[in-house]
Amino acid sequence: MIPPEFDYYSPTGIKEAVELLSKFGEDAKVLAGGQSLIPMLKLRVTSIPVLVSLSDIKELDYVEARRDGLHIGAMTRVADLEDSSAIDKSLAIIPQAASKIADPLVRNMGTAGGNISHADPSNDLPAVMLALGAKFKVYGKGGERVLDSRDFFLDAYTTALNRDEIVTEIIVPKWKAGSRGVYLKMRKRAADFSIAGVAVQLEFNDGEVSKAGLATTSLNPVAKKITEAEDMITGKALNDALIDKVSNLVAESCDPASDLYGSAEFKRKLARRLTSEALLTISKMR
Amino acid sequence: MTSKFDERFVNGTARYVDDLTFPGMLYLGIVRSPYARARIIDIRGGITHKDLPLKLSSVGEGATEGFEFLEHPVLANKYVGYVGQPVAAVFSENRYAVEDLIESVDVSYEPLKPIMDPEESLRSEPMYPGLKSNILFDKYRGNDFEIKDAPIVLEDKLINKRISANPIEPRGVLAAYDGKRLTVWISTQSVHSIKEGFCETLNLKPENVRVIQADTGGAFGTKGGIYPEYVIAAAIAMREKRPVKWIETRSEHLLATRSGRGAIGKMKLYADRSGRILGLKGDVIVDTGAFAGGSGEFSAPFIAMQITGPYHIRNAYIHAMSVLTNKVVQGPYRGAGRPEASFFMERMVDMLADEIGKDPVDVRILNATTAPFKSPTGLEVEASRPFIEAAVRELEYEKYRGKKGVGFSFFVLVPATMPGESAKIAVEGERVKVWLGGNAHGQRHDRFVETILKNELDVPADFIDFQLGDTDQTESGVGSWGSRSAMMGGSALILAARKLKSQVEAKHGRYSPKLLLQGKWEVFEFFNYDKHLNSLGANLVYAETGSLGEIRIKECLSYYDVGIPLNERNVINQIVGGCAQGVGQTLFEELAFDDNGQLITSSIADSGVPRADLLPRFKAKLHRNPSSLPSGSKGVGESPTIGVPSALVRAVETIAGVRIRETPINQEKLLESLRIV
Amino acid sequence: MVEKKHISLTVNGEKKEADVEPRLLLVHYLRDNLGLTGTHVGCDTTNCGACTVILDGRAVKSCTVLAVQANGKRVLTIEGLSPDKNRLHPIQKAFIDKDAFQCGYCTSGMIMTTFAILKKHKKLTEEEIRAALSGNLCRCTGYDNIVDAVKEAEENVEEEGIELEEPEPVRVRR
Repeated sequence: MIPPEFDYYSPTGIKEAVELLSKFGEDAKVLAGGQSLIPMLKLRVTSIPVLVSLSDIKELDYVEARRDGLHIGAMTRVADLEDSSAIDKSLAIIPQAASKIADPLVRNMGTAGGNISHADPSNDLPAVMLALGAKFKVYGKGGERVLDSRDFFLDAYTTALNRDEIVTEIIVPKWKAGSRGVYLKMRKRAADFSIAGVAVQLEFNDGEVSKAGLATTSLNPVAKKITEAEDMITGKALNDALIDKVSNLVAESCDPASDLYGSAEFKRKLARRLTSEALLTISKMR
Repeated sequence: MTSKFDERFVNGTARYVDDLTFPGMLYLGIVRSPYARARIIDIRGGITHKDLPLKLSSVGEGATEGFEFLEHPVLANKYVGYVGQPVAAVFSENRYAVEDLIESVDVSYEPLKPIMDPEESLRSEPMYPGLKSNILFDKYRGNDFEIKDAPIVLEDKLINKRISANPIEPRGVLAAYDGKRLTVWISTQSVHSIKEGFCETLNLKPENVRVIQADTGGAFGTKGGIYPEYVIAAAIAMREKRPVKWIETRSEHLLATRSGRGAIGKMKLYADRSGRILGLKGDVIVDTGAFAGGSGEFSAPFIAMQITGPYHIRNAYIHAMSVLTNKVVQGPYRGAGRPEASFFMERMVDMLADEIGKDPVDVRILNATTAPFKSPTGLEVEASRPFIEAAVRELEYEKYRGKKGVGFSFFVLVPATMPGESAKIAVEGERVKVWLGGNAHGQRHDRFVETILKNELDVPADFIDFQLGDTDQTESGVGSWGSRSAMMGGSALILAARKLKSQVEAKHGRYSPKLLLQGKWEVFEFFNYDKHLNSLGANLVYAETGSLGEIRIKECLSYYDVGIPLNERNVINQIVGGCAQGVGQTLFEELAFDDNGQLITSSIADSGVPRADLLPRFKAKLHRNPSSLPSGSKGVGESPTIGVPSALVRAVETIAGVRIRETPINQEKLLESLRIV
Repeated sequence: MVEKKHISLTVNGEKKEADVEPRLLLVHYLRDNLGLTGTHVGCDTTNCGACTVILDGRAVKSCTVLAVQANGKRVLTIEGLSPDKNRLHPIQKAFIDKDAFQCGYCTSGMIMTTFAILKKHKKLTEEEIRAALSGNLCRCTGYDNIVDAVKEAEENVEEEGIELEEPEPVRVRR
């Protein structure tokens, strides 16, 4: 219930934050909203000697539609993703998925950047960002770089971030007007984390899918973009046969663990079902 | 000035145990076993069994005697039997330092292979040296019988997994000692049981122990008995002569607070082709945990006794066993055996209905008793047929007959009436103070107290100060559990009020509330009651499944005989809250362990407590068949936890087309049956 | 031993200063340091919401916020909702009217979440209210009465014309 002791810094600028991370090396971790980190500290499943809080860095909290896409500051609270007027209908998967994360109170503190960086296999935003083809702007000792989301999630709780790097912004590319997406999540009984989650985003051109994004949650060690499935849908019109084929492919791409909530086989079948349900839902949205 | 019991809960002024602080107070922390079964090799640091070589006495609801060889040690002695078992204790003035101190205690163990499943336990080597088997309790109820050429014989194995009571306030205690007297503030259902536990375990004289109830944030059975942490807090308070507070974390609650359900029913039903039940046999196996002294030894025969339900079953023979496993000891949780008994019976009745192709409600009506009946296992039932017919009418069953997604359950509630209850009224300074021997923890006894004092003494609610429990105020008392308080506490209060009225009449020649309030009076009454006072209930559930197999309850209806309700709002509120728990048990809740005895469902959410967005609205109607008690009331608290699970399981299985045998419903099997996956 | 950090924040309209361990949870700062015991601790996994307070206008779980994270911010607790003990806030009245509590332990959290809900939304449906309450667990009531209390609180607030601003503390003349 009580975290172990740690030291705490709350820099007012990104550069200062990065310097602190660099200084303390593996002893330090970034504290964003704290809704993943503080629970871990309270249960003492981890011990972190130094927390570098981003909450005093005011310039990381924004949601802006710009010419090249939607820019989300890393410290944007997940709750603000639910109702930001800057998010176009073509990216409605973002508020829809955000509303499924934990509960409204946790969403008031939890951040977009935190949900991306923590890389718990059951965090929900990674699959959504993978499906949207988002990029992440990160800042570290070596300066700024932009990482493609598809290169970002490496393993459970492991991202491509260097130790001294912080995600500063999520950039979601523009999807054409008329694009639709949905995030389906099968919860573990009464708890929030999922047994399986599937994010699908489709862009249409004349009845055919011109661009596809598809990614999964909780079905692999970390959120996974299923590019073969995306390629399979692109350039085609959605029909039952195609939906079946894609769903089977997604099922095969999963490597879930058997546990209390179901066998690995069951979870693969669930992935298949969620995928077909998502595709059907999107085809009905038009 | 009015004292409203309500406002403290909405303005933050209620005083739960952790809200109390005293000068010089110490916080207690418990070092717990990380292993489900192990030999303790060495402990370095903290207070251990060497310092406090005590065993826990069994008190409160479901208390048992005669298992002293397997009593739960206050601090582990040589062996540990479950993850979370207290092994050592530390304390500090600083709440935060205590958790660091817990980590500083160094315990080395030799892990042993734990036994997690009760059926496996039946087949295993004895868990402890000196035992012949892992069966703690082994008796038969009823009479063996043979039905040659029974037209129908149905067998099935039914399971209610262990679940946690999970009141939102975990356990807590604050012990203080002045050199002579131990005073304890505690979150509790029974100050008297707690006091008895302290006296027995610590060998203290009753006059030297006072137990005071703090505002109590729910209990559902977990806060009526004595626990190691309470004893340790008291012992340290006595040694250090400083107040000692212990507040349970939720993680501790899930591991070390006695959890409920955990029973297997292997049932065999004999019937004829018209659906008449000819006989019932069964093995009831209760998952009793690692030690004696919990409710496991009580619940096995209790389940066996009432398993025949509201039916006229003339032949019944039930083998009741409670079996050791490497889990925390089983404790009472709202229902405490009653839901299990009803689940086992009702599932067999539905199975019979399916076998003969008859409507399950019609099968129940056919088997209902038509005159008062005592079953071979000892259950006393009134004529239950009029009730079920009324239930069918009031719940509008005909709207649902033949539809998929409908489940109906019919049951007997056996409240824990004996030995009665106490009440005290003290009038001074124009205020009327009332204590009940059993302590409310959300049931709003203050409201039925107002009703009774209005009816008996014509005292307006504004003048009444309902008191929390205090063993210095009531010389004896029982407890608030087992659906008993309105019946037993209410009756005690009525008699106390009548006594008070006669005292006023004796002094003044007549009675008026004014005369009462102007004087100084005190009356204590223990209402003795050593009989059963059972009542009937029914639930109807109507459910659908969504496109991804989500279970959507469209209707969850209750129809219970509550006699004359002392406060109708209270009764409805209890029913709604209980239905939520019934749904929880059926769809979400489980304390699941891996083969190493580690708890998998280790958070309040994972252990299944439902959120508001996972539950439907609940509706209830009351059947009012007065009891013979002064209040005319009957029990109700546990009825929903008894009736809802089997009705909901039935509703779901008619959609799935596959029989469901356990709670919580297995989602993988369900989704496969629904062809969702 | 880690150095304590200085924090400066506003709690129920009053300025507070303290030197605290970085690991001190906001809920414990409120309860133990300030004696505001109306906010409760019910779990250790950020599920139950018994610890809900309003932080800079948002409902949050104070057990999962460090006191140091609240530096420079405004906190409103259940005690701050009715600074005048003789006058209940419309939400508190609605909870009493509708029997929206039994043991009362989750109630402070429910009320603070309701406050936040009503600040933001009008005319929520049953389903929306339940979703908004999904971060607050109750074991006693089954939620029906709580949902009814939220609906009634909305009406109360409209009727009484009370703005759902965080209330000014009552100035006590000494």
